[in-house]
Amino acid sequence: MQQTSHKFKDNVKHALKQPNLRTAIDRTTGLLTSRRRETLAQYPEYAEARATAERIKDHTLDYLDHYLEMFEKNAIASGAKVYWAETPKQATDTIIDICKSHDAKSVTRAKSMLGEEIGIGEALAEAGIERVETDLAEHIIQLADEPPSHIVVPALHKTREEVAELFTEHHADPHKTDDVAALVESARRELRPKYVGADIGISGANFLIADTGSICTVTNEGNAELTTTLPKVHIVNVGIDKLVPSMGHCAVFIRLLSRAALGTEISQYTTYYNGPKRSGDIDGPEELHIVLVDNRRTEIFDSFMKPMLRCIRCGACMNHCPVYNAVGGHPYGYVYPGPMGAILTPAMTSLEEAGDLPNACTLNGRCQEVCPVNIPLPDMMRRLREEQWRRKLTPASMRVGLGFWAFAVKRPWLYRLGTRFSVVMMRWVARAKGKITSLPGAGGWTRHRDLTAPQQGTFMDQYKRGRRS
Amino acid sequence: MSSQTDGSTGARSAILGALRKSLGRTALDLDVVAGEAQSLLGDATRHQPKFDDQTSRARFIERATSERLTATVDEVAALADAPAAVQRYLQQCDLPAQISHPPMDCLRELDWGAIACHETLSPDEPVAVNIADWAIAETGSLVFTSRSDSPTLYSYLPLHHVILVDGGGILRYMEDYWAMIRAADTAPPRSTNFITGTSGTADIEAQNIRGAHGPRFMHIVIFGE
Repeated sequence: MQQTSHKFKDNVKHALKQPNLRTAIDRTTGLLTSRRRETLAQYPEYAEARATAERIKDHTLDYLDHYLEMFEKNAIASGAKVYWAETPKQATDTIIDICKSHDAKSVTRAKSMLGEEIGIGEALAEAGIERVETDLAEHIIQLADEPPSHIVVPALHKTREEVAELFTEHHADPHKTDDVAALVESARRELRPKYVGADIGISGANFLIADTGSICTVTNEGNAELTTTLPKVHIVNVGIDKLVPSMGHCAVFIRLLSRAALGTEISQYTTYYNGPKRSGDIDGPEELHIVLVDNRRTEIFDSFMKPMLRCIRCGACMNHCPVYNAVGGHPYGYVYPGPMGAILTPAMTSLEEAGDLPNACTLNGRCQEVCPVNIPLPDMMRRLREEQWRRKLTPASMRVGLGFWAFAVKRPWLYRLGTRFSVVMMRWVARAKGKITSLPGAGGWTRHRDLTAPQQGTFMDQYKRGRRS
Repeated sequence: MSSQTDGSTGARSAILGALRKSLGRTALDLDVVAGEAQSLLGDATRHQPKFDDQTSRARFIERATSERLTATVDEVAALADAPAAVQRYLQQCDLPAQISHPPMDCLRELDWGAIACHETLSPDEPVAVNIADWAIAETGSLVFTSRSDSPTLYSYLPLHHVILVDGGGILRYMEDYWAMIRAADTAPPRSTNFITGTSGTADIEAQNIRGAHGPRFMHIVIFGE
């Protein structure tokens, strides 16, 4: 996808002007966060599970080389072919080569964020291969020709009315209504023949199980299984961070993933795949290809952002983020939005390109609080800001302003003089009203509310009075 | 595809090399790693949701018929009574007496009475009946594995998915299933499917809608104790 993270501020302005966007976001994140709260209230063992999950991921990362080799060996033993790719281009070249060697005309795809990362859609289009997105949300945004705006519910920015318009325009036999059930039925009717007609199915994986060489997918719609079972060839594109040691370890994450993502105990379809069709099997693909993708995960591994590789892509951090809730996913301008995207985007692209993202954060800490693997997202955002400062990527106005502030704060007499002067100035601006209705340089604040003028003097004045009494 | 294989080999050593360099580790004691991995799981009861006051069967039925999972459940004494239960379901739903089932001997041998059975599966099959290997009480899930007489698509293509499951095969937790598989020490099947309720989507305004791509209706017939 075309990255637009460098235009974050413009993107935000544009998003804030969209009349339906807030409604669409609120309708979804409101339900997802309240369902999550309700489900966790019925799972008193959650804290223990969360701590265990964090430890399992850290252990797996400590021996990631070992577990990758173990997974590879077992997957090959089950009949799968395993490929490795350092870059998105290597990954898509591998996938397109497999498609071409089967003379594939049509590919069904079950949503995977890694597929978005490597640009599988663009690569298939360049190769002249039809791509059919089967996840309902991906189907919607494919019709709208838009990138995903959320990692779990990628069409979250669309209201049902907008989806109805799209389906009426593109479906062969649409329901002409904005009733959600009718819309789902229309997509089912449209997509069913495409599943059957596809030459190749491409999916991601939620987990890779090292000691069995299994791929695990988790979906609610059942689109993954139709994508991976009907065509003759199944290709899996997956990041090297998706490993867990065994099925027992995986169970801990299965309990956390759906609760964090959708507020349900478990998703409808949890499937473990081992190799291609066996002799005598009636269905299943004849070939299974697994492409293990780095895309700078090894660099993240070697940095302070390493805990980010624990991420299980549940989306809870963005559902609870005030910035994400105000602007949605598109302004972030890359595959991953919200708090996790504010780390992954600079890490996978550059801090030059995506420097605004770790700054678009109030540091309220909700993202880490709701993270099922306790990723210290706010700390990492602070570290990225420091990194920006060190590399002189912060805007000149901010550097100059902070320079003045640092100069004053190191000289208490000067700092106190400054604060006293501003108190006087604020009182003068407020005059008899006691309220400031407009303040140069703080228009963003005073446009919507008044600022109360300080009544009691500076902090130091009050502190000294307190000590005397 | 030789160049691509070379590329893959190069990428493999680059990725593993980068990880090892970052870890700064020389030798690896595999027993230590395995021991550490095992100890992480420790006592699974610490993170499994408790339902001590319920039998596995009661919990399974409660979960399967919950508002979230939307399945219906019937209980019969033995597998031989399953066709009558299927017949009841077809009548309740006002469906023709016609089903598809996988080519399993245990299903072929049943007396289906007035129900016409076929063993083919069309992309828009109205009703399919199959047998689950196991059930999981914790989540109300059913476990299916692929075999030559047990194709995967029976659980995904039909509109009505009717599942027969042995009442003695209801395990408490997912871990119980994996422990059993591990103890059997056989190669895992091509596909192991944990299915929990009907196909659903929350992709439009987070509203839960049934029958997204897979079955819209699920009916479970528990046979035996």
